[in-house]
Amino acid sequence: MGLLDYHIIYQQLKALAKSDENNSIGDSFNNAFFSIILLERTFLTASNTPKTVIVAENLTKTFRDRKRGFVKAVSNISLTCEPGKIFGLLGANGAGKTTTLRMLATLLEPTRGTATIAGFSIRDDPQEVRRNIGFLSGSTALYGRLSAREMIQYFGKLNGMSGPELTSRINDLVERLEIGEFQNGRCDKLSTGQKQRVSIARSIVHSPPIMIFDEPTSGLDVMTSQTIMAFIEQCRNDSLTVVFSTHIMSEVERLCDHVAIVHKGIIAANGSVRDLYAQTSEPSIEKAFLKIVNGMDTENV
Amino acid sequence: MSRPSLTSTVFLKEIRETLRDKRVILGVIVSPLLVTPLLIGTVLFFAGKKEIEKQASIVEVGIVGHAAFPTLVKRLKTDEGFNAHQFDSREAAKQAIKDRTIRVALIVGENAQTEFSSNNSAPLEILYNFANENSQFAQVQLRNFIGKFDKEALADRIEAASLSEKFAKPTKVETTNIAAGSSAGSFVLGLFLPYIIVMSAAFGGIQTAFDLCAGEKERGTMETLLVTPASRYEIVTGKLLTILTISFIASCCAITGIIAPVAFGLEFFKKLVGDSISINFASIVWMMLIVIPLALFTSSLLLVISSFARNQKEAQTYILPFFSVVILPAVLSTVLGAESHIYTAFVPILNISLTMKQISGDLFDPLYFGISLATSFLYAFLAMRLAASFFQREQILFRT
Repeated sequence: MGLLDYHIIYQQLKALAKSDENNSIGDSFNNAFFSIILLERTFLTASNTPKTVIVAENLTKTFRDRKRGFVKAVSNISLTCEPGKIFGLLGANGAGKTTTLRMLATLLEPTRGTATIAGFSIRDDPQEVRRNIGFLSGSTALYGRLSAREMIQYFGKLNGMSGPELTSRINDLVERLEIGEFQNGRCDKLSTGQKQRVSIARSIVHSPPIMIFDEPTSGLDVMTSQTIMAFIEQCRNDSLTVVFSTHIMSEVERLCDHVAIVHKGIIAANGSVRDLYAQTSEPSIEKAFLKIVNGMDTENV
Repeated sequence: MSRPSLTSTVFLKEIRETLRDKRVILGVIVSPLLVTPLLIGTVLFFAGKKEIEKQASIVEVGIVGHAAFPTLVKRLKTDEGFNAHQFDSREAAKQAIKDRTIRVALIVGENAQTEFSSNNSAPLEILYNFANENSQFAQVQLRNFIGKFDKEALADRIEAASLSEKFAKPTKVETTNIAAGSSAGSFVLGLFLPYIIVMSAAFGGIQTAFDLCAGEKERGTMETLLVTPASRYEIVTGKLLTILTISFIASCCAITGIIAPVAFGLEFFKKLVGDSISINFASIVWMMLIVIPLALFTSSLLLVISSFARNQKEAQTYILPFFSVVILPAVLSTVLGAESHIYTAFVPILNISLTMKQISGDLFDPLYFGISLATSFLYAFLAMRLAASFFQREQILFRT
């Protein structure tokens, strides 16, 4: 079925719903109706998404520090993410991973260079960029005095969703992420695992084609980390494009299709996990990482 | 450009969350509406009670040289308001005041009776302790007693000299207060009401302001909020409206919490101003109107502080300069009269405090009010621009 077919069904259902004065069309029919709208939305997003969904060119970020003067946090980072793939930024603390992701998410403006996300420039069209991404970090980042359902609803509204479309999407997420039991409980009363599930729902409520994870398992226990890892894998299975930063080697080995090793603000190495093994002649990502990073430090000395 | 829908989405969420914060409810609504009237009521009740007790109490008075002025001493000993004690020396009486066995002492001059009988002035001295309020009150009572004695003695002297009573009164003065009872009461109210309203408008939104920005940074929710399609301008507008609403509610609750117990006519206030206090509704509307730019101004300043701070604790440390900026003009308004020079209408916060003073004292000046309102909105606008500019700057939002 093509886009046109969906559109015809959508228009016919809409006309039918309008003429339904006796409300003879049941809830299930309405649900199906909104599922099709969602399907259409996904289809539209997919059809508009270019083949290369993230392209960064010479991204550079300089901060002014009172003591140290101008500090280059990220220098000339260029990367390309293919649709439906997981791209990992691997680096030590302070390497520049978070700054890079924040520039891609339009939270920080690059000092130099640019990037396009789903075809939109981070400089010229930041709102469209934000509309196309979901952002998740290790911090659950929930509003303690809102309920889990209100939390998801709030982010849905901020992403331009409303009415039955939003309700249907929330119901779907509540079911899929097993939030139902505590959906009306205040977020500050939830366990870490429950909070993380709500946080995931919050980040994907608007069905973004691209997910950005900033050290998503940082500070989490093993069980919760596994939930996040499984979610990232699920994103790939759902054909979402994922960029995530980490300093945990096992996560890179398990998840990444493509890895960039970031060190001192620059990309020190780039390629698939196998490519990195080959480049360094090392049998593990940990050893490969250390060889690349130490090699760079020695060169600088 | 700001889309009303997203600004209102942010605003509604912030208001909902804020009104679920027990600290805000306690500080902004419960305290001004229940605790403040209770405090005012309690203070006035005990002040009134003490006043009544004082009026009914018997003053312990010491007399030194009682034999030197029998006419006065006899009257004093028979007066129901005094309990007289004899002392041999000035020092003994002084010590007794210090020991609080007596409250006040009357030192009679050696030839007092002779001077009195010769139609001269009898030398008297009153000893009291200014640092002790009971001694102060006793001194006033003793003076009143002597005043009454003087008046009667003067009448006797005039009669003996076959003169008219008017001989001792070269002028006859009548004083009429043209202020209605409510205006007099409002004047008393106007002494402290502006100060309290300014404080409420300025500090009512502190908790909310710090929670909405510095708190969001601390909890990590700011990042997730900024990564939504809502623009920073929409977000900051929604947050500012929330702080403004809470500040405005705090001010309204403060006005209600102060006026309500006073307006219900406590006995003490009746004694103090001669009538119960009433402020008309028009005055309240004017006060509410002038509070809006004030709340907008202080809310914006609080948002600036909150945006700059990395966390709520840091925001608390920046509050001291803010206190000074707000409190100084507010305190100044209690010193300056309602009829201050027009240039004070250009001084932020002070202009609003003085305008409120004018409103509550029936001294409403449309020109002063107009200038105050216009300049206050201007300052509020500038503060809002500053807050919006702070919120746009990534080096401030992502300070580490």
